[in-house]
Amino acid sequence: MARPKTTWPVWLRRTSQSAFLLLFFYFFLQAVYRPINQTGRGVDFFFQLDPLVLLSSVLASHKVAAGLSLSLLTVVVTLLAGRWFCGWVCPFGTLHHLISSWRSARVKERLTVGGYSRWQRSKYYVLFALLVGCVFGLNLTGWFDPFSFLYRSTATIIFPMANDAIGSFFGWIYQTDPGIGPAKVTSVSEPIYEVLRRHFLAASQPHFYGTTLLVLFFAAALFLNLYRARFWCRYVCPLGGLLGVIGKNPLVQIKQNQEVCNDCRLCVADCQGGANPDSAGGWKPSECVYCWNCHSACPHHGIVFAIHVPGGTK
Amino acid sequence: MITSLLRWLKHFFQPPPAAKLDLKRRGLIVGGIAGVSSAFLVRSSALGQRRTFSPELIRPPGATAEDDFLARCIRCGECMKVCPTNAIQPALDEGGIEGLWTPVLKMRLGYCEYECTLCSQVCPTQAIQRMHLEDKQKIKIGLAFFDRNRCLPYASARTCIVCEEHCPTPKKAIWFEEVQVMTPERTLTTVKQPRVNPELCTGCGICENKCPITDMRGVYITSVGETRHPKNQPLLDPYAS
Amino acid sequence: MADCSRRRFLHACAMTGAALKLGPLALNAATTSGPALSIARYKTSPQAPEAIAEEARRLTQEAVNGLGGMGRFISRGDVVWIKPNIGWNRRPEQAATTNPDVVATLISMCYTVGAKRVIVSDNSCNAAPPSFAHSGIQQAAEKAGAECFILDERKFRKTALQGKVLQSWDVYGDILGVNKLINAPIVKHHGLCKATLGMKNLMGVVGGERNRFHQDLSNTVVDLATFIKPTLVVMDAVRVLTANGPVGGNLADVQRRDTVAAGTDQVAIDAFGATLLGLKPQDIGYIAEAHNRKLGTMAFETLKPRRIEI
Repeated sequence: MARPKTTWPVWLRRTSQSAFLLLFFYFFLQAVYRPINQTGRGVDFFFQLDPLVLLSSVLASHKVAAGLSLSLLTVVVTLLAGRWFCGWVCPFGTLHHLISSWRSARVKERLTVGGYSRWQRSKYYVLFALLVGCVFGLNLTGWFDPFSFLYRSTATIIFPMANDAIGSFFGWIYQTDPGIGPAKVTSVSEPIYEVLRRHFLAASQPHFYGTTLLVLFFAAALFLNLYRARFWCRYVCPLGGLLGVIGKNPLVQIKQNQEVCNDCRLCVADCQGGANPDSAGGWKPSECVYCWNCHSACPHHGIVFAIHVPGGTK
Repeated sequence: MITSLLRWLKHFFQPPPAAKLDLKRRGLIVGGIAGVSSAFLVRSSALGQRRTFSPELIRPPGATAEDDFLARCIRCGECMKVCPTNAIQPALDEGGIEGLWTPVLKMRLGYCEYECTLCSQVCPTQAIQRMHLEDKQKIKIGLAFFDRNRCLPYASARTCIVCEEHCPTPKKAIWFEEVQVMTPERTLTTVKQPRVNPELCTGCGICENKCPITDMRGVYITSVGETRHPKNQPLLDPYAS
Repeated sequence: MADCSRRRFLHACAMTGAALKLGPLALNAATTSGPALSIARYKTSPQAPEAIAEEARRLTQEAVNGLGGMGRFISRGDVVWIKPNIGWNRRPEQAATTNPDVVATLISMCYTVGAKRVIVSDNSCNAAPPSFAHSGIQQAAEKAGAECFILDERKFRKTALQGKVLQSWDVYGDILGVNKLINAPIVKHHGLCKATLGMKNLMGVVGGERNRFHQDLSNTVVDLATFIKPTLVVMDAVRVLTANGPVGGNLADVQRRDTVAAGTDQVAIDAFGATLLGLKPQDIGYIAEAHNRKLGTMAFETLKPRRIEI
């Protein structure tokens, strides 16, 4: 069956994801020396949005770091509307989403792969263990918090590697200086390199200890997406778990038109969270990241998300 | 509107079966035990409750006392990104397994810039406390020691004193004594042999960073003397000066 | 044209990794002859920040004019590197780095006589971005229209110095593309060699493990000064650091000398700078060494320096 055209809510979601991913890298690059003894703005923006950081640090240290209260906004939105944060904002989720969509068609064809698995409980257990540890003064949340994970990996692996690769490339051009007669490649490449140096690259190449361990964990988190879409978000992410708990019965709910459904399960194949979008009454709001893939995948346009006030029209 | 919101709130706490979290008591018990026991395991380790101190556990200036630091630090690496000298590194076992990926300073890669408080500005949980530059400059993150078997004016009868040149405290914490020493050619020469004044040294580590003995430096920092812990002190009255 | 082929030759050498077999760096010397040393001094010592800035500007202009003006050194179309001391993350009042107003004035003077490009840079000891900004030099240089950038690690090239102790060392590549170099040091105390002056300031155009120089600082500094030979030296002694140098940090160690000197004889101007710190030139190793190697004369009074009092 020919796949239906991607619908506009999916494009909107992709736009939002791209914007927040770019914002993440923009703020990442702001964490740099600015005259005099200052950094750029917004460097901890994503951590401020993160209720897990707030909760764990309050439980463990009994103190609230100023600025983290912004995460209450995330809590309110999730309470009312569900885990949109995971599907539309979280840059780590976006990376997982991106890699999940690279899975071969063959994997996707095993249609049940997208369905709910009981192992998805594990993220709540991870969350619970971390929070209990916090109560007893040991805060290990940072190992699993998605923003900590992504920021740490970007700072110690991705950025140093990218910085070195770009520098070496332009360095190689500079050293060999190819060209025809008086027309030199460096007359173009050096100005570009100066702009990169001013705005993107590090003032001097960063180096870090222990990158092997760091990259093993990061690569594992990314590659597991080839086994299950958004593996990290489904099985491990304690922030996803926390938002799942908060958004377990939101006002925005799935609406399935049972009359047009012929059980093709294409929606399940594309489901990012393992939330059973096909099942009448079996949809799991705590697992749904509101990616609207089910809406887009349904050949009969039978799935939509809408505000649902309980007790009204059932 | 308000009644529907109230209805929804009621509904939230009494969700339909499919919306309920699919949790098992056994999983929660295991998770809870894991959380409690890991906390007590860490407390009972050699570094736990500050029974011993790791010389390499050199925290950024403004880091809170170790227990509070571990309760706050989320190992995000912002301080590692922003550090202008690349000194802040993800810990491996310097602070025990519980300190994995928390920030420690490695003076062979960088040093703590005397006129800088960037790590404290970016820390999202204030595990590194925000502070004024003048206050930061009073904080000791460790203390410098000379290895006389490797430091050139002691070990090789050569002049050097790069450490003293770079020492940033207004009155230099590294001072030197001019001493007549024997060269390998059996002639006498005068060299400047460096010493540390522990009252002035902030442990910034620029001496270790700039020392020409590249693999194992002739001068190095350890965490002793760190302002954040009253027990990890070498001097009679560390707060006198 | 000579510069152009020279650059290509350097590229070829960099590719093969061979050290260069070149004599002293052929920076163009002054076009006409004139006095070798000029010393401008303020008789008063103003305290207001704006007045000190004005003092630095006036002294710089007068010192260079005392040698016959910037036109004697810089010609139309020249590419000039002004090399101040931006070694440390300190503010101007702490006198660990060259006065930014001295640097800005030099930039304007170069442009006035037709310089094509003016570059301001240094290889800092502290982290470069804070040092450039905190010293005030980056802001002052950019405001005056110069290109002020942090040195690029890729551009240091192994270069044959053929000195007494430095056979070859990493020298900044782009300095070989400029044809005029103005060395703009500040006078200050130094624990090891007693004083940091002009010739020692040239350590900022080389890379590599400079911390090994200290084992024989006199010879390494003079080897560099022999190879590089700046077109002009303008020495800032508006404020001098008298103790705990070269980093300083204690304002009590900073004293006013209200002086800017300019000269073409590196040894003579350093010798004069030493006297500002109350030192005898022959007691400073690299000055004595440079004098002995006939790089210049440390008996600076024999050059009949022009003295300008304002």
